[in-house]
Amino acid sequence: MSENCSCSFHDYYSDNIYTWCTNCGNYGIHAAVKRALVAECCEPKDTLLCFDIGCNGNGSDKIGGYRYHGLHGRVIPVAVGAAIANRRVKVLAFGGDGGTLGEGINHLIHAVRGNYNMTFILHNNLNYGLTQGQASPTTKLEMKMNSSPDGVSSTPLHPARMILSLNPTFVARTFSGDINHMTEVIRRGVRHQGFSFIEIYQNCPTYNKATPHQWYQDRIYDVSTLPDYNARDLNRAREVAEDLENKIAVGVLYENPDEPEFLKRVANRQNATTELVDEVKPGSIESILNRFNQ
Amino acid sequence: MPNTPLHRYVVKVAGESGQGVNSVGEILAKSLKETGYQVFGYREYPSLIKGGYSCYQIDVSDQPMQSSSAECDLLMCLSRVSVHAYLKTLRPGGQLVHTLKALQFSPEEEQWINERQLKIEFVDAVQIAEDQGGKWIMANTVVIGILLKMLGLSESLVVRILEAEFAHKPDMLAVNKQCLTAGLNYQPNTLVPPQLAFTKLPEIDNYYLMTGNHAIALGAISAGVRAYYAYPMTPSSSILTYLAEWQHETGMLVKQVEDEISVAQMTIGSMFMGTRALCGTAGGGFDLMTESLSMAGMTETPWVCVIGQRPGPATGLPTWTSTGDLNLAVFGGHGEYARCVVAASDLESAYRLVGEAFNIAEKYQTAVLILTEKQIAESLFLTKGFPQPAPIERYLVPDSELSQLQANQRYEITESGISKRWVPGQSPVVFDANGDEHLPDGSLTEESATSAAMYDKRMRKQATMLAELPEPQYFGPEQPEWVIVTWGSVKNAAIDALELLKTSKPELKVGVLHYEYVYPVRTEQLLKLQSQVGDNLILMENNYTGQLGGLISQATGLQFKHRLLKYDGRPFFVEDVLNYLEETC
Ligand SMILES: Cc1ncc(C[n+]2csc(CCOP(=O)(O)OP(=O)(O)O)c2C)c(N)n1
Repeated sequence: MSENCSCSFHDYYSDNIYTWCTNCGNYGIHAAVKRALVAECCEPKDTLLCFDIGCNGNGSDKIGGYRYHGLHGRVIPVAVGAAIANRRVKVLAFGGDGGTLGEGINHLIHAVRGNYNMTFILHNNLNYGLTQGQASPTTKLEMKMNSSPDGVSSTPLHPARMILSLNPTFVARTFSGDINHMTEVIRRGVRHQGFSFIEIYQNCPTYNKATPHQWYQDRIYDVSTLPDYNARDLNRAREVAEDLENKIAVGVLYENPDEPEFLKRVANRQNATTELVDEVKPGSIESILNRFNQ
Repeated sequence: MPNTPLHRYVVKVAGESGQGVNSVGEILAKSLKETGYQVFGYREYPSLIKGGYSCYQIDVSDQPMQSSSAECDLLMCLSRVSVHAYLKTLRPGGQLVHTLKALQFSPEEEQWINERQLKIEFVDAVQIAEDQGGKWIMANTVVIGILLKMLGLSESLVVRILEAEFAHKPDMLAVNKQCLTAGLNYQPNTLVPPQLAFTKLPEIDNYYLMTGNHAIALGAISAGVRAYYAYPMTPSSSILTYLAEWQHETGMLVKQVEDEISVAQMTIGSMFMGTRALCGTAGGGFDLMTESLSMAGMTETPWVCVIGQRPGPATGLPTWTSTGDLNLAVFGGHGEYARCVVAASDLESAYRLVGEAFNIAEKYQTAVLILTEKQIAESLFLTKGFPQPAPIERYLVPDSELSQLQANQRYEITESGISKRWVPGQSPVVFDANGDEHLPDGSLTEESATSAAMYDKRMRKQATMLAELPEPQYFGPEQPEWVIVTWGSVKNAAIDALELLKTSKPELKVGVLHYEYVYPVRTEQLLKLQSQVGDNLILMENNYTGQLGGLISQATGLQFKHRLLKYDGRPFFVEDVLNYLEETC
């Protein structure tokens, strides 16, 4: 925490009353997000939280900071556009496994490629919560869900495996039962310059009885407890990320701080000293115009 | 050859895609301009990279023109298919020059040639190029030389272009110059150089020659646009190309994005943050953007998008023109919300409307859609220069007021429907830009009275806009007997036709009422004109259903008795208008 930081937990407080189920993992996630933002000294004035449509998005008015709560599956591109425009404002985006890996999966893939400077938090509760418990792309095979009464027949997506295949710059996992762990992971994600992908295994007491907090608690371990774990080794990260059933690795699986974030890769912007929001004034067209009367 | 009653001389260069027809056409247009002629350049080409047939048509005059004629006087064909495709566009007495050995005409074509007394000349341009030591592609340079000679144009501009292109290849430059000279020295058999009876205007050399998409790109720079996002789609792709070409001078972030949904969302995200961002697409891409349009409506985020029209449905005629997407712009997206639709028609409006669109978007915190068409996007227009752009107006809360803000002012219910707007980083007073129905601070609500009140507030912006935005533009006599109602490039053919009628049929009093601000649709002036001309209103649109007519009917109950509609992918040619008026008035 920076010394002259005047930001406190209270600044992210909202009077609005939560509408999540009792024991929903989102409570813990909100608490961790607030703690991480305060610890990283992100003042609400300079923070933009973008929410997808889903249970997590219904928390958009229950937290401080500037917020944008747009469309289902589209939170990543709207956050990317915002992040590009002004890097003085920290941008975090939140989406469920349905919106992120179903409706808007293309955006996730291209955001990893672009290495846009923002943090994305995947609320993975293995189902569509807000629309009442349908299967999501991460629902396990043969699980009986609302509208899949005979069990899910498609192979589940493995988010970390997919992201790690894209040469990302930051991949972490954590779970909604451990606020301290989530806070530390989110802090590192926020600090990372580039696209930070954080998957949170989220408890869904209503529609996902199969993997409650205790299920994760019994299986997870932080990669930092492995001897010689090196978070800059992509192949090692791919290995440890694989197991989602028995021993589940959490923590910062992979981090590459050397890869420049999006705007540092763009030739005509990499040395800019101002942000796009500072530059709105009439541009001169004289020299370009003169090419048209030759 | 005498000039036609249209007071134009029309040259058409035709060939296959990939043969360089476009470059030959552009070079010729530039040389004509340099010589002091008015020009209008029009492209037809198929949606493929090699083969098919395409043409570049240049109308030449000493009067300003912004449309093409259907027929040409001189047709230069570089491929067999293009001869058969375009032979019938030659006016009686016209001349066909081609570069094809053993070209065969069908009996029907022979008859046409005889009836119309067409002159035909074969030029072995490939052989001439090879005689100079050049490759077959340099036949184009020979052809340019022949055309320059035919039209009495100087070669200086072409030499400069060759010198720039082959600055680092002196041997190539030398061969190309020889090919040009060989073309200039070509001795025709039947070909007769036209005597262009047009007054040359030396100042035209200082005019700017460019496409509508150039003007849009320049308009974006003047409007302070700092980010342009797009996914390639004809006819808007070249906006992306041009802005990318100039990005080192402008510092603009120009980004090709994964799909149009992202394009729209990123643009809205950047606008929400407080910069000016623009995006461009065509109808099909805009279909993908309509959920985002709706999101901008609900979160009251300014958003400007260029929609380049081409004929649909589906992929339709990807490289041809249309004004079939007005309804898409006006009615696209779920739910109801205020929006503004403007339509460019020429260089001046394409340039100016970008800045105006941003000012409107930021003032009313709403989407503004700029419609353009392939006919505007890719045709070559001349302009003396652009008007001073509208000053940039952001309508953001000024710094002096930031400390007194309250969160519930962001979506405060006001009479105009417009609330205060500020952006992340500006004030410690934060809000939720909520796509769900919300209270004035953006907090979610589903309560009935508040939901209705917020709905009313947002919809009131449409009425505020209607009262404040400009009426359509009227061109023509004060006491018209007929009025043509247009929007988009259609206006240009109408106005060019009326100019000709002024001398050929001065007793015919026809005016044009042109909608640049198309939606919300203002009707006071239209109704005033209707009280003068009664049923003599002519709706003219480049679509099947007469979409502006539909909007006007919806607003006024007025039904157009006379409709001039065209939907074959071609723009209106000046003859289309002349013939229609001849029959109707
Ligand atoms: C275009 C679109 N399609 C569908 C919906 C309906 N919808 C709202 S939330 C949701 C699924 C939510 O699941 P997830 O993203 O996993 O989030 P969770 O509710 O589980 O947090 C769906 C399908 C929508 N709002 N918009």
